[in-house]
Amino acid sequence: MEEKTTPTRYRLHLMVCAGTACVSNRSFEIKEALEKELKKQGLENEVLVVTTGCNGFCERGPLLVVQPGNIFYQQLTVKDIPYLVEEHFLKGRPVQKLMYTPPEEKKPIPVLNDIDFFKKQVLIALRNRGLIDPEKIEDYIARDGYRALVKALTQMTPEEIIEEIKKSGLRGRGGAGFPTGLKWEFVRLASPANGGLKYLVCNGDEGDPGAFMDRSILEADPHSVIEGMVIGAKAIGAQQGYVYIRNEYPLALKRLTLALEQAREYGLLGKDILGTGFDFDIKVARGAGAFVCGEETALLASIEGRLGEPRPRPPYPAQRGLYGQPTCINNVETWANVPVIINRGAEWFSKIGTKTSKGTKVFSLVGKINNTGLVEVPMGITLREIIFEIGGGIPGGKEFKAVQTGGPSGGCIPKEKLDLPIDYESLTEAGSMMGSGGMVVMDEDTCMVDVAKYFLSFTQDESCGKCTPCREGTKAMLDILERITKGEGTEEDLQLLEDLAVSIKETALCGLGKTAPNPVLTTLRYFRDEYLTHIRDKKCPAHVCRDLNVYTIDEKICLEVGHGCDVCRRNCASEAIIGEKNQPHRIIQEKCIKCGVCYDVCKFGAVKVD
Amino acid sequence: MIHLTIDGKKLEVEEGTTILQAAEKADIHIPTLCFHPLLEPYASCRVCIVEVEHQGKKELLTSCNTLVREGMVVETASERVLRARKLNVEMLLARAPAAEPVKKIAQELGIEKPRFEIKDPQEKCILCGLCVRACEEVVGANAISFINRGQEREVAPPFGEPSEACIGCTACAFFCPTGAITYEDLYGRQVIHEELNLGPATAIRVPIRQAVPMVPFIDEDACIHFKTGNCQLCVKVCEKEAINHDMKEEEIEIEVGSIILASGFKPFDARRIPAYGYGRFPNVITALEFERLVNASGPTGGKILLANGQEPKAVGIIHCVGSRDENYNEYCSRVCCMYSLKFAHLIREKTEADIYDFYIDMRCFGKGYEEFYHRLLHEGTKFIRGRVSEITDIPLTPEEEGKLIIRVEDTLVGTVRRIPVDMVILATGLEPSLDHNEIAHIFNISCSQDTFFLERHPKLAPVSTFSDGIFLAGTCQSPKDIPDTVAQAGAAASEALALADKGTFELEPITAEIDEKLCAGCQICVSLCPFNAITYNKEKHISEVNDALCKGCGTCVSACPSGAAQQKHFRDLQIMAEIEGLFID
Repeated sequence: MEEKTTPTRYRLHLMVCAGTACVSNRSFEIKEALEKELKKQGLENEVLVVTTGCNGFCERGPLLVVQPGNIFYQQLTVKDIPYLVEEHFLKGRPVQKLMYTPPEEKKPIPVLNDIDFFKKQVLIALRNRGLIDPEKIEDYIARDGYRALVKALTQMTPEEIIEEIKKSGLRGRGGAGFPTGLKWEFVRLASPANGGLKYLVCNGDEGDPGAFMDRSILEADPHSVIEGMVIGAKAIGAQQGYVYIRNEYPLALKRLTLALEQAREYGLLGKDILGTGFDFDIKVARGAGAFVCGEETALLASIEGRLGEPRPRPPYPAQRGLYGQPTCINNVETWANVPVIINRGAEWFSKIGTKTSKGTKVFSLVGKINNTGLVEVPMGITLREIIFEIGGGIPGGKEFKAVQTGGPSGGCIPKEKLDLPIDYESLTEAGSMMGSGGMVVMDEDTCMVDVAKYFLSFTQDESCGKCTPCREGTKAMLDILERITKGEGTEEDLQLLEDLAVSIKETALCGLGKTAPNPVLTTLRYFRDEYLTHIRDKKCPAHVCRDLNVYTIDEKICLEVGHGCDVCRRNCASEAIIGEKNQPHRIIQEKCIKCGVCYDVCKFGAVKVD
Repeated sequence: MIHLTIDGKKLEVEEGTTILQAAEKADIHIPTLCFHPLLEPYASCRVCIVEVEHQGKKELLTSCNTLVREGMVVETASERVLRARKLNVEMLLARAPAAEPVKKIAQELGIEKPRFEIKDPQEKCILCGLCVRACEEVVGANAISFINRGQEREVAPPFGEPSEACIGCTACAFFCPTGAITYEDLYGRQVIHEELNLGPATAIRVPIRQAVPMVPFIDEDACIHFKTGNCQLCVKVCEKEAINHDMKEEEIEIEVGSIILASGFKPFDARRIPAYGYGRFPNVITALEFERLVNASGPTGGKILLANGQEPKAVGIIHCVGSRDENYNEYCSRVCCMYSLKFAHLIREKTEADIYDFYIDMRCFGKGYEEFYHRLLHEGTKFIRGRVSEITDIPLTPEEEGKLIIRVEDTLVGTVRRIPVDMVILATGLEPSLDHNEIAHIFNISCSQDTFFLERHPKLAPVSTFSDGIFLAGTCQSPKDIPDTVAQAGAAASEALALADKGTFELEPITAEIDEKLCAGCQICVSLCPFNAITYNKEKHISEVNDALCKGCGTCVSACPSGAAQQKHFRDLQIMAEIEGLFID
């Protein structure tokens, strides 16, 4: 074999983020440019370029973190690379202009941990993010990976493992928050039918719009999930596991498959794990993208190759799950938490968080917020801290209006509740839910009726159609919301909408239907005025519902400031604007289709919307 | 045992009972749509919801799948339940406004018109999934499933095309509560059992109403279980546990001293005479079909009705269909005249119709038969002597419009007549049964020219055959009516008894025997023996004669090339010696 002279130690490690967001921002081109430039400067034996999983600060991608030193570079382009390499890596002068500068501040922050976005985060599930190459098992092992597995398999009995998880207070991170240890114990005590096997499933069917926690974990640290699953398998006595993962996550799928192969090669998976005589293997099941398959019984049906639709519970999967056998099903993030708990102990874990909710939770912060990205925060942190300190507030100096948590089935929480400490109970109390951790921030330009309509149209479209309330009810609710946003709603409609929402919540078969009315219920609870304005005054305060908008041109401004520039007339597709150049323009309301183009193109603010 | 309260009633039920079952026991009605007692609960319609209070928690649960628990307090019609149930039913009514069960429940709940959008006022499917579950759980064919999701959800076979997995059992239609699934053939007719094309039948039935023993059997060709291995619903519902699908048909060997053959007849297939239009005209029916029609337990409850449900105004009965006809059977079937007269009498009794009876000769040979014929003559039945040449529906005059016209030569008047009627009954003759030849072969008995079994002697041994111990009774020997059959059966029985009573059997003295030393095993004799009395012994490589079967005909003796087969008492040597003796004198 050819002896390669790769040095064992490097002076610098350049951690290039290769999460999906950064990859779509061409981080691989950055990596190539870096390698090319390093070679040119003769640094290839001193500086190593590493591709890592998602760093979390997706807003600022592509990202580069220089280790040691934790110097954080952001929004890189290929053009920046020669200068960066020469200045920083050759001459040792960090480049300030490529560092992160918070909005409305002048001084850049060089070190990652000093940035607000990272400062308040506590990393458990995302402990290895940005630090390891997810495609190398050695990297994971170097960061104490699989140590928990060794401990669990060689020093602990299954009962001890379950006891440890129970003591830690870990609850399901998929949304419902069922105590993980308790679930494991149920499966451990359940006996398989007809001498069959117990199964263990990782739910990676992340379907919430704007949520990407699971994808990120699987992309950045697939081994943490595998390790958690093997420990879980030992605890419940399963021999076969499945990871159900959306086919829309090609990168996560690729890295997970690779990680499984590596783990098998290292004897950490498969037959006789670590020589302890314990057998456990994991298969990957790919989902076709139906949202309802995130519901556990539908997911199991999908793995079995049947129609992906939920069935009534009980029996719970812990009693009769995959192929009718006791099955333990947990979310990606839950599994990723397990090795840390075994390693550092339940006591340490249970110190983080609130009385009822322990540990941390990963949220994907999206919407009208400065620092879009993935954050892991301790339970009990307030929404204000997440949105304004970590998230950096609302862009454009706009005012915060509401935050939607828990995906399409969650609720909208208004600004009065910003100081709410987040845990499973408090969010449910506020009419929303933890969900899988989506957090959509909305500013003053958002119409809450429209938001409710948007989320409901998603759940209505994704309803499997099995039970009456979800299939017919969500459609009936959507029809009412359509009417309201068109200005055709009545106050009886509002009453019917509320009745429907309550009834669907009470009588739907599965979690999808039971939570589908949440966006409507919470917006009705906190923003009832907006509904009434739509119904009584036929107006949309945020001017989002186009059918309710009336566009007019202030002739005075048009003439005096804009000098009749004629841009609006030229852009009007329905020829609803009349007026000569240098003359004031006017909109013929009968012809106006309310597309809003004139409003957007008028630089002088002459077009008014009401 | 578990204690719970439903609507204030205190109950004690077994563990594992659902709330719905418990309520049923207490005579409390909970409306259901997607539930069926023979299928697993599906809990999709959400109509059977009830309010359950357990351990301080009050929630709405579906009663069809929720098991009872100790101390549960159930309200089946609380305000909260009714509000939610009403909305769910209202939504279902908007989806399927033509579904009767939904309409009924909606009426009970006081819903007049749904407040939601109605897409199709004719829609009947409520997506309860009973058909899909029946096909999966009961039939095991999995030929239909739900496709699409949400509002687009519907029941369909794969890719919307007729599925090969479908075994045509119509279980889906049987389970469908709203009639959204119907089963029709290509011509839009309801698919029913083939038996006489007169009514539907199930896989479990009594073969005929006069069956002995009068017990139901499972028709393996129609039973779902024998096609897919599933179903067995009959086992679930049979409280006596009398059904066993594992029972196999078996062949039983019984040693007997004598055998009576009574293998019966089959009616002549009237389709063989195209001119009579049987099978083309729905109102041309055979005698057996008419017999079923007038039967009080028949499809019309004994009323004589046309295919369109109306009473006929004129009926023609045609004698000798397939009998006394050179083209079909030359013999007289003997029973047709008398049953035709009976039909004419029944029609006279039950309808106002004119009756025409087309005969060649009236053969009323039995006791009291002639008197019955005379009664019919007095009753006003019109007897026309002559063979019907054709039945047509092409009218020549306005009176013939919409009628069946019988063309016949009235030999008494000497003209060809056209007689319009509404219904024609064909008095089909009797033919040997389908497996007649097979039976003849097995028992080695001969058939006469008319293909019925041949008796040993028409006058002296009318119930015996050429094989000793095998007797004939009934129409397998020749067409005959019930009194004659009973008489012949009695005779055959006493012959058989006489033989059995004797206990022994006298062999013919003159039979063939085969000399083991000379036999070359060529088996020529085996194929020639008309009585199947010679078998080939594979071990010894020789042929052997069964003395009980051999009639001493001598065929084998004359055919044996090696001279091994010899007739006892008439051996070649004996005959030669006798001839020589003649010459000595």
